[in-house]
Amino acid sequence: MPSLLPPPPPSSSPTMSLPMLVEELLREQQALSAVEQFSQYHATTTPAQERYYHSLLPSSPPGPGEQYAFEVDLDCCSGCKACVTACHSLNGLGESETFRDVGLLIGGTSSLPVLQHVTSACHHCVEPACQTVCPTLAYQKDAVTGIVKHLDDQCFGCQYCILACPYEVPQYNAKKGIVRKCDMCSSRLKAGEAPACVQACPHQAIAIRLVKTADVAADCEANSFLPGAPDPQLTLPTTNYKTAKSFPRNMLPVDYYAAHAAHAHPPLVAMLVLTQLSVGALWIRAALPLTGLPVVEHLEPLQAISALLFGLVALGAATLHLGRPHLAYRAVLGLRKSWLSREIVAFGVFAGLASLEAGRTWLQPQMLAAPDWLGWSVLVSGFVGVFCSVMIYHCTRRSTWIGPRTFLRFFGSTVWLGLSTTLLVAAIVAGLRADLSIGSVLHDLGAVLCPALMLVAALKLTYEACDLLHLLERQHTPLKRAANLLVGELAGMTAARFTLGVLGGLVFPAVLWHEASSSHSLEWMSTVVAVWLFSVAGETLERALFFMAAAAPRMPGGLKT
Amino acid sequence: MTPADVLHPLSVASSLLHQTDGPFTRELLLEPSGFGLGQLPSRLQPDATTTSVCGFCSTGCNLTVHLKDGAAIGLSPATNYPVNLGMACPKGWEALRVLDAPDRATTPLMRSGRGRLERVSWETALSTFVTRMQNIQREHGPESVAWLGTGQIATEELAYLGALAKFGMGMIHGDGNTRQCMATAVVAYKQSFGFDAPPYTYKDFEESDVIVLVGANLCIAHPILWERVLHNRRQPKIVVIDPRRTETAMQASHHLALKPKSDLVLFYGLARLLIEKGWVDDEFIAQSTQGFDDFCRHVAPYTMDVVTERTGLTAAAIEEVAELIHQAERSSFWWTMGVNQSYEGVRTAQSLINLALMTGNIGRPGTGANSITGQCNAMGSRLFSNTTGLLGGRDFTDPQHRSEVAEILNIPIEKIPDRNSMSYHEILKGILEGRIKGLWVVATNPAHSWINQDQARDILGRLDFLVVQDMYHSTETAQMADLVLPAAGWGEKEGTFINSERRFGTIRKVARAPGEALADFSIFRAIAQAWGCGDMFREWTSPEAVFRIMQRLSAGRPCDFSGIDGYRQLDRDGGVQWPYSAEHAPDEQERRLFADGRFHHPDGKAKFLFEDPRPMPEPPNKDFPLLLLTGRGTAVQWHTQTRTGKSDVLRKLAPERIYVEVNPQDARALGIRPQDQVWVESRRGEIQAQVFITPTVAPGQVFIPMHYATANRLTDAVFDPYSKQPSYKACAVRLRRVG
Repeated sequence: MPSLLPPPPPSSSPTMSLPMLVEELLREQQALSAVEQFSQYHATTTPAQERYYHSLLPSSPPGPGEQYAFEVDLDCCSGCKACVTACHSLNGLGESETFRDVGLLIGGTSSLPVLQHVTSACHHCVEPACQTVCPTLAYQKDAVTGIVKHLDDQCFGCQYCILACPYEVPQYNAKKGIVRKCDMCSSRLKAGEAPACVQACPHQAIAIRLVKTADVAADCEANSFLPGAPDPQLTLPTTNYKTAKSFPRNMLPVDYYAAHAAHAHPPLVAMLVLTQLSVGALWIRAALPLTGLPVVEHLEPLQAISALLFGLVALGAATLHLGRPHLAYRAVLGLRKSWLSREIVAFGVFAGLASLEAGRTWLQPQMLAAPDWLGWSVLVSGFVGVFCSVMIYHCTRRSTWIGPRTFLRFFGSTVWLGLSTTLLVAAIVAGLRADLSIGSVLHDLGAVLCPALMLVAALKLTYEACDLLHLLERQHTPLKRAANLLVGELAGMTAARFTLGVLGGLVFPAVLWHEASSSHSLEWMSTVVAVWLFSVAGETLERALFFMAAAAPRMPGGLKT
Repeated sequence: MTPADVLHPLSVASSLLHQTDGPFTRELLLEPSGFGLGQLPSRLQPDATTTSVCGFCSTGCNLTVHLKDGAAIGLSPATNYPVNLGMACPKGWEALRVLDAPDRATTPLMRSGRGRLERVSWETALSTFVTRMQNIQREHGPESVAWLGTGQIATEELAYLGALAKFGMGMIHGDGNTRQCMATAVVAYKQSFGFDAPPYTYKDFEESDVIVLVGANLCIAHPILWERVLHNRRQPKIVVIDPRRTETAMQASHHLALKPKSDLVLFYGLARLLIEKGWVDDEFIAQSTQGFDDFCRHVAPYTMDVVTERTGLTAAAIEEVAELIHQAERSSFWWTMGVNQSYEGVRTAQSLINLALMTGNIGRPGTGANSITGQCNAMGSRLFSNTTGLLGGRDFTDPQHRSEVAEILNIPIEKIPDRNSMSYHEILKGILEGRIKGLWVVATNPAHSWINQDQARDILGRLDFLVVQDMYHSTETAQMADLVLPAAGWGEKEGTFINSERRFGTIRKVARAPGEALADFSIFRAIAQAWGCGDMFREWTSPEAVFRIMQRLSAGRPCDFSGIDGYRQLDRDGGVQWPYSAEHAPDEQERRLFADGRFHHPDGKAKFLFEDPRPMPEPPNKDFPLLLLTGRGTAVQWHTQTRTGKSDVLRKLAPERIYVEVNPQDARALGIRPQDQVWVESRRGEIQAQVFITPTVAPGQVFIPMHYATANRLTDAVFDPYSKQPSYKACAVRLRRVG
């Protein structure tokens, strides 16, 4: 029986002065009393929530040919998003880091509208793209459970997995310089506890089930994964979205029409443009003797050195892209499967060979009329390097990056920048040597190189401009989304890219070609510098757009405003 | 890797190359923890736990707070609490995150001569508060200062604020933001039942055969109550009555997408149908109600033709619902803001109460006419805010009530005003007319949330002295203040909340308030002292002391909770629902009212109350052809987002900027395409928003979530005549593309 009367005697003196009272209140405010008064010291170690999630876990471990998978009962997912916050809290993720997301599909008619929230995390794919592309072997697919785990300490933060995963699962943590992702709370599962999301769904919409990998493959064959989700053929995702409803044919994610420019990845842009310039410069150098021009032999040393320098800057830039550059050496581990590893190794070899070549050229210029084995190997390693770069993006199977879209861009840049760099180097060599005149050197060389440069530039710019034709498509394809970005959010950059490309690849080369041989050295020089600067700037913008307008596949998302 | 391995040179080399362990791995490594919490990351391992009721909505979920050295380091939903059964919505999960925001008010702030809010000491703030308020009162009379309170602070704090303002400082007028959400339910219950007594317990969701949800999107607004619906094993029929195809409508067995504001006609039509078919509980009507005959006459004209014409529904759909209610052993009727925020909300709520009464669906498991409340302590505010009702659900105009309170509080009876307070919009009108010059705003954000916002801001701007007491100095209202008092928030103080089903639950101090922020309770203590009425509040020394005072105030009232043995019992028993008196202290954890068929009117009977529907104040016309509905957007947003906007994760999960939902048919007609920006224009204002083209809003209607600051620039300040609640959900607008 509580004692309501009489009132207890006052604890603080009514005569206490206001400053004293304030001081007292401020002191009281900072004292945490919950522990003494109210805390619960349970000795129990059994998880209390077990009673709710017991039925949501498989009763036995996976057998051969089986693995764990998320099962989402769409009929129970009401879009509250508790799963996202529970995963965030119970796993101690970073402030804005989330391993789960909830998207929304909308469809139907005004008389019978349909909306469906969709929770998703890592799909622990049968053929995880993240694992395939990782250069450091930081991804492991558990042989028993099938859980795709990420070794956080092994990761050096190249983020290639982010580009490769069709579901935007790996999350880059800039503060740590690594990627992290859902591991299905594997240690909870091991102890018989449910993953955080399973524990926290008020409607029991998420469960862990056993699936047969053969069944997953068969289901993916029929593309029955989820409306609006990327093609499951890419990675064979294991999550099972089940529903008793049949969705109308017009179900679309609410972020279907939303497109925002992606990250520009400046270090990658610099790396790609400069490695291609470097390789291109060496290729053109190797081809120059075919012109039969006497000036060619004078160009050789500086051409080799400058190509090497650009190549080294490119490799330096590439390491800046890594979250943890000091672990760059780990890239060799993935050589057997990762094109990123291969690219790093190929350009490493290229840089080494190019150094040897440059050194030798510098020391014994007269001995190098024709390429020998060293010269050839530099050319080949350069080609392999650029080819590996192409494959990195091709392998993500994004529409904007697939096959010729990357191949023609990268090799186009290689030739374009190789030609323009050769012109620049020729002008510098002529300027440095008393026995050569800039005008006559460029006049001779330009007659061969300028038309070639203009042809390459015209073809490449035309090819790139063709991307805008996708604006005419009826369906909102990834390519149309990319084109919309190019003429919308990225319109300024797109305009600059084509302007610089036309100036550096067409206008100034034409000027150079038709420059009178009597012109002043300074005019020659400024024209050739313009060709080079506009070309490099134009290709840099092209590469930035390559990343920014890359319409990544994604799971149905929420409304983006 | 074992320590021995680490020393092995080969393993060192191999770990340099392929590192399976290390600081990053260990950061996310989970370890078993005690306290029944299962595995947690090692840096988040608690050394003790406590529990606290959540501070967002009225569901009143209980959270287990994970403590380390006395301070909260995490939380998870409490497993056994009879409300949330081990679950929480995202706001609850992130409740601690919103405390450490950079825009927390950490010292009192005063508007300087240069017009900027600048730091001052508590002494300066308190003396300024008192001097300016008292000067205004001296010059313009005691009524010239008023306050606007909240449903977001503890009951003990609400009681202190109300008692201090009226009995100590001599104010007459004070109201709370509960006017915006619950006033309609309060008045409807008071008139129908004789007391503001929501009759249900959440278990009724699980025990009902037919669950009728009116203007309530549980999935988004009360996700944990939807959890309770899904716990129902009786294979219930779920009837959602809502103009929009909401998440809840999607999950329902029956969705009646009626025309906006035709609900009153629909329920009168349903009543007529039930009467006509004889599907009523004559015995219950005779014994426990009055006014049924008049009600029958009133609903007679609501024939099926009238109802289908006004609601846009088919006769079959309406007949099916009547049939469901008739067939079911237990039907329950639930409503939220779709009913409350209306110019005829009280009568609409009562039309639902009437349906429950006439079919005998009250006082039994799985039945009831049940208002689901909004804010975490709207129910505390309804009993103890001392605004439009005297403490303990009493009436200021009743001399008997005044003398009871005077005696219990041991204060002179003259200190208790003998008339009712003006309501929220009347206070604003008072400011406009120059009758109110000083305003004290506590834990609410009228410059964002009040209807017809441009006008509301203009009115607030006319005050001589505006004091805002809030956790954040960045709220739209705090930015207009002359004085900002920094308040400690949920998690930084103690007290009790009362949830929708009348359950008292405790909140705990588990985090240190930033800087010099003080619990609202402490601020009231300091103000009482500074004002010179500290003596009157000698006994009001701690939240629990005030809890005892409130218990004395409740004794003998319908809301009697005098039998609760302090916070300890609330803690031990999973909260306690009122009534719970010393004489009647039942053991059950979940209880409903009116099992005996006796209501709180003197004759013990519930009243049938009704009135003809009125025309919509601002129907769409040629110039403004669309009807704007407003409401909750997502489960991760709360009200004006002053708190939820502070969690990175919650922010990430909600649309960043304001948007307007438009039906594809209207979008086509207006030439609007996905992702377009549009101007939304009403007679009061024009705002820019992104379109979201979706068939879930009907043609001719658009929907804008209330969480974004500009939404209420459009809404029309009309009010229910009884509850004075603003009608947020229907005004005419037009749309055009930007550019």
